[in-house]
Amino acid sequence: MNTVDEILDYAIDQEQQAADFYAELAGRAEKAGMKDILLDFSAEEKIHKERLLAVKAGDHELTPEQEVLDLKISDYLVEVDATENISYQDALIVAMKRERAAFELYTDMAAKVPESNLKEVLQGLAKEEAKHKLFFESEYDDRVLMDN
Amino acid sequence: MSLKDLLSPFYVWQRAFEKPYTSIRPIQERPGAAAYRGFHINISEECIGCGTCHKICQNDAIDMVRVEAYEGRSGDSGLRPRFDYGRCCWCALCVDMCPAGSLRMSNEYTWITSDPTEYHFTAGVEHTTWQENPLGYRRAEGYHLYPPKRIDMEMRPPAESVQSFDEVVLGYSESQALLEADRCIECGICVATCPAHMDVPDYIRSIRDRDYEKGLQLMYRTNPFPATCGRICTRRCESVCPVGIQGEPIAIRWLKRFIVDQIAPEDYARILADQTGGDSGRRVAIIGAGPGGLSAAYYLRRKGHAVTVFESQAMAGGMLRYGVPSYRLPDAALNKDIGYIQSLGVEIRFNTRVGRDIQFSELLDVYDAVFISTGLSLPSSMRIQGEDHPRVLSGLQVLDDVASGRAPGIGRQVAVIGGGNVAMDAARVARRLGAEVTILYRRRIADMPADAEEIHESQEEGCRIVTQAIPVEVLNTAEPGQVSLQWGEAEMVQDPKGGRPRPVLQEDRMHTDTFDSIISAIGQGGDLGFLPGNLQEQLAIEWGKFIPGEYQHTALDKVFVGGDVANRTADAISAIEDGHHAARGIDRFLNPDAAASSDQKVN
Repeated sequence: MNTVDEILDYAIDQEQQAADFYAELAGRAEKAGMKDILLDFSAEEKIHKERLLAVKAGDHELTPEQEVLDLKISDYLVEVDATENISYQDALIVAMKRERAAFELYTDMAAKVPESNLKEVLQGLAKEEAKHKLFFESEYDDRVLMDN
Repeated sequence: MSLKDLLSPFYVWQRAFEKPYTSIRPIQERPGAAAYRGFHINISEECIGCGTCHKICQNDAIDMVRVEAYEGRSGDSGLRPRFDYGRCCWCALCVDMCPAGSLRMSNEYTWITSDPTEYHFTAGVEHTTWQENPLGYRRAEGYHLYPPKRIDMEMRPPAESVQSFDEVVLGYSESQALLEADRCIECGICVATCPAHMDVPDYIRSIRDRDYEKGLQLMYRTNPFPATCGRICTRRCESVCPVGIQGEPIAIRWLKRFIVDQIAPEDYARILADQTGGDSGRRVAIIGAGPGGLSAAYYLRRKGHAVTVFESQAMAGGMLRYGVPSYRLPDAALNKDIGYIQSLGVEIRFNTRVGRDIQFSELLDVYDAVFISTGLSLPSSMRIQGEDHPRVLSGLQVLDDVASGRAPGIGRQVAVIGGGNVAMDAARVARRLGAEVTILYRRRIADMPADAEEIHESQEEGCRIVTQAIPVEVLNTAEPGQVSLQWGEAEMVQDPKGGRPRPVLQEDRMHTDTFDSIISAIGQGGDLGFLPGNLQEQLAIEWGKFIPGEYQHTALDKVFVGGDVANRTADAISAIEDGHHAARGIDRFLNPDAAASSDQKVN
């Protein structure tokens, strides 16, 4: 991956994979109400993908300079398995961790690339993932950590 | 005719050039005195439409009228006062009485119009020239027609209360209750806000009349748990009480308790005279003997339906018995409520868990309707490293142990994690078991979901609250009976999308403390494992809770839901109302022909 288009294609593919992951998990989910929640997650990932497609088409710009709040919730939570018996708390943890991993990947890649348009795109993608992480962490803060 | 006679009519024209003897405005405007009782001013944003002005007006000069802009506001009737200046005698009693302090009088008194209907006007809503007038009559600061402060409740001092599980609040004497009841202005704003719509003004009036039997009858119309709610209700009624705007709200909860405490359980049947003799021939299964389930059971029995409650625990009450400690809700008070419901012929099958001892599908086959009110019994997990340490206990388990007479084994140094009522209860129970207690909460005290009274009392009883403290990891210690908790300080950061600030861990400000046990009380969820998968698909469930339809009905024909597992407020009074509402719905479902008159008859 040496060009901006290649990087964007990779990121778009990752969002599609995430959407497929949640859709597949929704198909297996056994707990009451989890199917809908996981399908909501899948739909959210498709929105992320659409946004990146718009970036590639030149209709939308990444914002590498934008500050994104990091709640650091997922950083200290244990890994959980995405089983068919997954709870809504664990589904959020899976989602937060996935976004965090993507954020770290783009951040690391950007650090290894000299100043260029490519570096800016990687930084912009990292910020996009940080925003996705914030979305799921806010959900966790509101719905799981209500009494805490 | 002389020449003079001919010319005399023209002499009058000479007057046209003289100074007139009449004036254009015969009365020179003279301003009213600075405190004159002139036209009314109402600050509509401060007014809550309680109607006290309307009630106190001796001339019927004030009507309450609906104003669209204020409809739907919490603690606001959506009505505003309309004045009839054909009747007003300018006595200012309305201003003196207004509990919101929104009503005043300007010092303006002249109003000239050819349209007499204009003298009916809604102050503060219709445009008037005097609305912004800084002069005129105002109620003197500190002057009230009723005492603004409530009668203090006698309580055990904290040093004594932590020595036992005896009830902390001692209750009003009759003279105290009469004085407190006398402060009620009978506006009824509380009725609209109470989830069960209890007839608060009328049962408070029953105290003034010393007719406690009437008070009990009024309460049972909408709530078969008055002894319980008289002690632990979240009392949203008090939060909107207009008397609380410029003073302290009426102690509605304590007055409710007073009424119930005056009546012995053996007198209930005579006083309430519930007719349950009729047999509808219909059978209803209720899952869960908590406030929601038993409220439904009570109102269904009154309609003559046979009720069987399936309860997994050995005793009825749900979280009221196993989650609320006896120093807040003594068993005797809870048993008073439950005992009367059972006396109406409600069958409770104890130690019977649906899904284990009897299948849900069997209930659907055997019964004509099923009401699910299983509550929130599964403690949430912190999901931090080391949480499975044996010295990490759940708050619900600790409370259950104590309620069941088991020793929870918490040790001397205890950390409680959380800021809800379960956390406060666990902390105060731990104090009564002799522990030094530190409560760690990730936000500020103002953000705690626990009742402010509980937070205050936990502090009074010696619980130390550390705010903006985020648990990070549970660690082993060299001592086998102990556990360490790593936690970090948090900064509150404004959420860019709005809403309340969110805590953000400060990784350079970490601490590690050692305890004998850590009690986790960060929330709880429902256990819906008893529902077969194919049925779960058909029920609207979101984030672990049912989404009920009209009359608590679900998409499944026979199934109704309510209580904590189906509402967002998760308090006893909401569960009680859910049960009552479901009983109406089930009765309509079982008797569709009589549905039209059902609401009035079930009550």
